[in-house]
Amino acid sequence: MTCYIPGQPVTAVVQKIEIQKLRQGDRLILGFSIGGGIDQDPSQNPYSEDKSDKGIYVTRIAPGGPADVAGLRVGDKIMQVNGWDMTMIKHYQALKKLTKPNEDVVRLLVTRKSLEQAVRGAMGLQ
Amino acid sequence: MFCRNQTARATVARGSALEMEIRRGKFRKSVFLDTSQDSDLQKKIDHEIRMRDGACKLLAACSQRDQALEAAKSLQTCSTRIMAYMSELQRMKEAQVMQKVTRRSSDAGPMDDRQPCKGKVAISDLRIPLMWKDTEYFKNKGELHRCAVFCLLQLGGEIFDTDMVIVDRTLTDICFDNTIVFSEASPGFELRVELYSCCSEDDYSAGSTPRKLASKLSSSLGRSTGKKLRAAMEPGSCSPISNGAASPLLLPVPSVPGPKYHLLAHTTLKLSHVQDNFRTHDLTISGNEECSYWLPLYGSMCCRLAAQPHCMTKQMMSGSLKVKQLGGEPQNWTKVHAVLKGTSLSCYHRQDDVEANVEPAFTIGINKETRIRASEKDPNSKGQNICISNQYGADEVTHTVTTESRDDTHRWMEAFWQHFYDMSQWKQCCDDLMKIELPSPRKPALVTPKQGSLYHEMVIESSDDLSTTVSDILARRMQELELRSQLGTSPTWMTLFEENIPKSAGRPRPCESHLLGYSPCSPRHPPRSPISPQRYPQLGLLSSDASLTSDSDSHCSTSPCSQQHAWPDSNFSLLTSSPSRLRPRTLSLDAKLSTLRGRGYGAFQCSCQTPPTSIVNPLQTSQSPLSLCSTQTTLSCSSSTSSNSSSNSEGSHSLELSEGVPFSRPSPARRSLRNLRARLDPRNWLQSQV
Repeated sequence: MTCYIPGQPVTAVVQKIEIQKLRQGDRLILGFSIGGGIDQDPSQNPYSEDKSDKGIYVTRIAPGGPADVAGLRVGDKIMQVNGWDMTMIKHYQALKKLTKPNEDVVRLLVTRKSLEQAVRGAMGLQ
Repeated sequence: MFCRNQTARATVARGSALEMEIRRGKFRKSVFLDTSQDSDLQKKIDHEIRMRDGACKLLAACSQRDQALEAAKSLQTCSTRIMAYMSELQRMKEAQVMQKVTRRSSDAGPMDDRQPCKGKVAISDLRIPLMWKDTEYFKNKGELHRCAVFCLLQLGGEIFDTDMVIVDRTLTDICFDNTIVFSEASPGFELRVELYSCCSEDDYSAGSTPRKLASKLSSSLGRSTGKKLRAAMEPGSCSPISNGAASPLLLPVPSVPGPKYHLLAHTTLKLSHVQDNFRTHDLTISGNEECSYWLPLYGSMCCRLAAQPHCMTKQMMSGSLKVKQLGGEPQNWTKVHAVLKGTSLSCYHRQDDVEANVEPAFTIGINKETRIRASEKDPNSKGQNICISNQYGADEVTHTVTTESRDDTHRWMEAFWQHFYDMSQWKQCCDDLMKIELPSPRKPALVTPKQGSLYHEMVIESSDDLSTTVSDILARRMQELELRSQLGTSPTWMTLFEENIPKSAGRPRPCESHLLGYSPCSPRHPPRSPISPQRYPQLGLLSSDASLTSDSDSHCSTSPCSQQHAWPDSNFSLLTSSPSRLRPRTLSLDAKLSTLRGRGYGAFQCSCQTPPTSIVNPLQTSQSPLSLCSTQTTLSCSSSTSSNSSSNSEGSHSLELSEGVPFSRPSPARRSLRNLRARLDPRNWLQSQV
């Protein structure tokens, strides 16, 4: 993933993933778990390449759940949720953006290493 | 005269023939003279060797890390002392040999060199600032990187060590509170300060882990801890750099398993560094970042180095003199008993006045500016006149004294000359007497609590200390709480608590109950009404009223207060207000505890953080009307250890208070409390399900 240089814009190759929330009882679930945040210790993130990256990462996907179906993968870094930035956000704030009760669908922009490699490969071929 | 500089002299190698000779005391039987100094030194060496053997045995036997570190420290000190004594012994032997040689070859007269007086040198309030990088705070996972450090101070033949201090990244300075006093120091002294440190992690017993496992461990433990493990396994890689003459005075320590101290930094202090104030000195740092015992030192050291030369503290000369009265008739002499000490010649009417601490009749100043001159023989008196002149501003004041006989005159002049010489040698120390505090007898080290709860902090030594200990701990806790709420980190759960202490069941004693009320938010401090007239600590956020019922049995609570679900609540004389207007309670803990003193009162516990298992006695009897307030939770505070129904019935904190959910069960609240603490802890990496 791209490393964060203070003051410089972050660029990444992203994929748009649209997850339809699933109603379970009185809750709307998405079927994945996130980790990270600017208030968390980034060195404990197993998925990030740059251990100082404090972004939000997907740590677990419930198999067969809405996120799995939509194409989210473990280790993805979430860049945006419904237009809200996720690269510089606290953990619980990210949670709130994902679990808004009046929204049925969340549109995520995620990035992963394989995406970058694929694009670079494609550009290289050209 | 042959004189050797101690630092340049090679130290006696351990295990060498010379060392064995000295140990066996064979030097006594040698051709060298056996003086009393030698035997003293020999005794000291024997003593230190015994201490060192004891320390080695202790090190091999002890299992706890703290004990091992202390034992290793004593070992280090003993070894250094042995080295110093042995080199001193060596020097003395050589000096004697030289003396014999010179005496044989020439008849040198008695040495005429004037020696300056000795003095006391004291070093205190050592402080070494640290310079942690910000990555230290955020990168380190797991345990703190801890080092045990202590200072070794050497002046002449005296070596002292300070107490050991454990240093981790929460400290900004290493502070040593000890005051070390060296009694016989000459003005050309060199006080060598050495800082030794030893890594204090648990798992790093040297050398036992095979390399493959070590590399596996290092990759799985994480970068910093793995690095440390690897460094610990290569003891040779970070040996202290010795530069030139300033080699560490380290005896090669016998290879005993256990922690080893390494020299981290050193410096040498001299007379020019002496001042009656704190000063900063530079440290020479040995070792580098890769060493396990490394600490990021700022590079300087602050301390107070004071010196009291003997000429300032002791009577250098005393005797009877006749002082000519100034401005009076020329032949009017006053007989006085004069004492030369410090910067003055004090003249007393009688000799007994000196011991009686009576003020001297008058004082003649003797300092560096004073000029003393012996005048020509006065035909009228037996002795010579001595004129002492001082310059006070524009005036010059001259006192004339005379003595009984010429010998006296000689002696007084000699004393004055010696005094001037001392003052010139000790320089700034003779301007004013510097204060040296004698080190107080060492207090036993406080036991640091392993867990953070109040229960574990209680050290019950005697019933006399109990109340003050507990109130101290509580007061500290209150301060911590106050700080925390002011920082705004725990606004939701630091709401009003009204606490009910269950009454002890079946105890035929005056019932007491504790109430802890927390003010809803820190800025608001409603006034308290103390119940008991005694003094109790003022607690901002957390305060409780002990309803001390002196010998009566029960009070009824007068007004509704918040009620916790399970406990019917009997004695709350102090519960006041309606939930919306809760007053902080006052803690008359002292009063309560003093009444309970004879009953083997145990742990008093109150915590608004993780409440550990409290010891709660089921309540009985009358219930006071108490209303449940949705915005309040109660925190129980146990008050006795008599019965041990250690249920989860202490109150817990609801984290959803802001949403108005009254908490019902301890477990979800406890979970949410744990969540909160997990969230607040910067070293975690939370994962949440969506």
